Amino acid sequence: MRIVIADDNLLVRRGIAALLEEAGIDVAAQAGDMDELLAAVDAAPPDVAIVDIRMPPTHTDEGLRAAHAIRERHPGVGIVVLSQHVETGIAARVLAEHPAGLGYLLKDRVTDVAEFVSTLRHVAAGGTALDPQVISRLLAGDRAEGPLRDLTEREREVLQLVAEGHSNPAIAERLEITRRSTEKHVSSIFTKLGLPDTGSENRRVLAVLTLLRG
Amino acid sequence: MTRNRETADSARASFPLDGHGVAFFAVLLAVALAGEVLVLRPLVLDPDAPVSGIDIVFGLVGGSFAVAGLVAWHKRPDSYTGVLMTATGFAFFVSPLLRQVDGALAFTVWSLLVDLWIFFYVPLLLTLLTRGRMRSPIEPWLLVAYAVPLVLLQVIWMMFAELEGDNLLLAFPDEDVAHVLDRAQRSLLIAALAATVVVIAIRWWRASTPRRRALLPSIAGALTLLMFGALLTNDLVTGERSEPLLWVTALSLLTVPIAFLVGQLRSRLARGALADLFRSIGGARPDELRPALARALGDPDLAVAYWRSDTGGYIGPDGAPVVVEAGGERAVARVERDGRPLGALLYDGSLDDDPELVEAVTAAAAIAIDNARLLAETEAQLAEIKASRERIVAAGDAERRRLERNLHDGAQQRLVGIALQLRLLQNRVGDDPSAQELVTTASDELAHSLSELRELARGIHPAVLEHGLRAALDAVATRAPVPTSLEYELTAPLPEQVELAAYFVVCEALANVAKYAQAGHATIRVRRFDGLAEVEVADDGVGGADESHGSGLRGLADRVEALDGRLRVSSPAGVGTTVRAEFPCAS
Repeated sequence: MRIVIADDNLLVRRGIAALLEEAGIDVAAQAGDMDELLAAVDAAPPDVAIVDIRMPPTHTDEGLRAAHAIRERHPGVGIVVLSQHVETGIAARVLAEHPAGLGYLLKDRVTDVAEFVSTLRHVAAGGTALDPQVISRLLAGDRAEGPLRDLTEREREVLQLVAEGHSNPAIAERLEITRRSTEKHVSSIFTKLGLPDTGSENRRVLAVLTLLRG
Repeated sequence: MTRNRETADSARASFPLDGHGVAFFAVLLAVALAGEVLVLRPLVLDPDAPVSGIDIVFGLVGGSFAVAGLVAWHKRPDSYTGVLMTATGFAFFVSPLLRQVDGALAFTVWSLLVDLWIFFYVPLLLTLLTRGRMRSPIEPWLLVAYAVPLVLLQVIWMMFAELEGDNLLLAFPDEDVAHVLDRAQRSLLIAALAATVVVIAIRWWRASTPRRRALLPSIAGALTLLMFGALLTNDLVTGERSEPLLWVTALSLLTVPIAFLVGQLRSRLARGALADLFRSIGGARPDELRPALARALGDPDLAVAYWRSDTGGYIGPDGAPVVVEAGGERAVARVERDGRPLGALLYDGSLDDDPELVEAVTAAAAIAIDNARLLAETEAQLAEIKASRERIVAAGDAERRRLERNLHDGAQQRLVGIALQLRLLQNRVGDDPSAQELVTTASDELAHSLSELRELARGIHPAVLEHGLRAALDAVATRAPVPTSLEYELTAPLPEQVELAAYFVVCEALANVAKYAQAGHATIRVRRFDGLAEVEVADDGVGGADESHGSGLRGLADRVEALDGRLRVSSPAGVGTTVRAEFPCAS
């Protein structure tokens, strides 16, 4: 898997690269700003671009704009947006139109390398990954509205993991339930959320969108 | 407060009439009274002659003119009118007093000076508007017209006429010549009288309202001249004195000093009128000021000029520069306060016969103009304060933003970098469990610090606002301990400062909901309403919130008001609390 990393902080950029390389990931390029990132992606489109949301010059949402540009030019490139803080509102903006192949994570998540690499692979395969913090806020207690209200406690747990980008076997393992019952929960969630049967991976993405839109 | 009055005369040289003390006037008054007594004494006390009413009335004329003249002179030392009137009064004494002196010389002088009063009385009537000074070229000619019959022809006539007394001038006694001369004299005098009346009538016709008021005594005076002329005409035609006309003439002569005194000295400003004046002018708005002043002064042509302190000139109500200079019939009263010029009134010069009125109106104008100026100044200062408050809030916000960015790009990034390094280190530590544990502990501590730092940064400045108010409020709503929904109806972003203020209001309101409201649910509403952007946080809690429950809201109210907005809290007990911030919003 080929990766491009964009972060204006050298220490962070290099740290991420080193960790990923140790995990056997091919870090093809490192960029300090939006222009370098786009140039690197144009030169050799990677499987996933890891993008810091705040980059020079304004340090506001350059990462998002870069993501938008990459999505337009290279629809096949997965994008993982990293941020010092994650917000549901920003998540909605990140994933607004084409949530497939997109991830939005707290920067600290990189330190859990195994988990992070799994997320990268999921995104590279066209999946969607939301930071657990965002999802738990969206699903918190009795806040959930609309179709989410009908989900059982267990289904919520499953949806949380689906949104984080885990596969059914990974979910089964985490929740210590059988794969079969995991699949049952997932399909029940799809039904309750009224998601059309358009292929498993796409349905998972749609489930995340439903979650985001409340 | 001082007021400067300038009149059309002030520029011209004039010898000072003022400076006479009370003693001066007391002496003159005593002389006048003595003259009056001397004039009346023989009329009343002469046991041989019956008391003649008409003679007594005529005898009183001199005294009344003298007294009225002295009062006017004392009261208006800058005007010659009082002097002329006093002189007229004394001139009336001359003839009856000389009459009481025996001898040829006294008789001759008496015969010559019998109509001396005319030469003071006529100028008095003609110069009421110019404060006793002859300004019109016609006035000297009128005096000449009187001088020909009353001086020149009188002397010549006396050279021919045989009189009842010892006429020292009699050189060529000839009754026919004397008769012709007498008729010529009377005819010329009638012509002069008629001309004077016509001049006064024309002036009255042309005069402005305030000038007509000032001219009133001259109308009374013109009537006496008319009567005098009628008397002479009657003499000429019938050859006899008309007793009724004589009475009318004598009585009308008496009305002149009375009319003069009343007109000249009674200020048109009674106590009640003064109060009305200040009420109507003092509180007048700038556009009402001129009409109010014009009404008070009785001068519909009054003009008001305002002083511009920045450019140092006068401007009219329309803001155009105005030349403020006395001239012609216009006089200028400069309106000042504490030595600062405020403006000027350009009014009819004849109003100077009532300086108290002009001063009172000017004083009232000073208050009104100063009020208007103070109002404008206060408004300007208020605008400045508002702008400065806005700048302070904006500067504070910019500083918060800078701090947050420094935290983000500095400490937070570094800590993440260190976390990554720690992870790399952990990979290299190998199987040493104690080393593994140390690194894990350090990593956890670091994650904790990062999380704390994140909260701190958010409190300083919500970076999420850079993604729009909606995203920020969505984040706030999902983080709130009380289930909170967001109804966001705006399509266009609000100004940055407004969004920040709205964000803080919502945060504070939701914090209060969590602390006090015992609410099951809260709603954030953001909408445009009637030219306002409205941000509202409503809960279904217990309500009854008082000020102490939202001390943080007070600071937010300042922030909202700095943006020209309003923050309102309504919290009926049992219904829930609604915090609403409204911001002006162009579209």
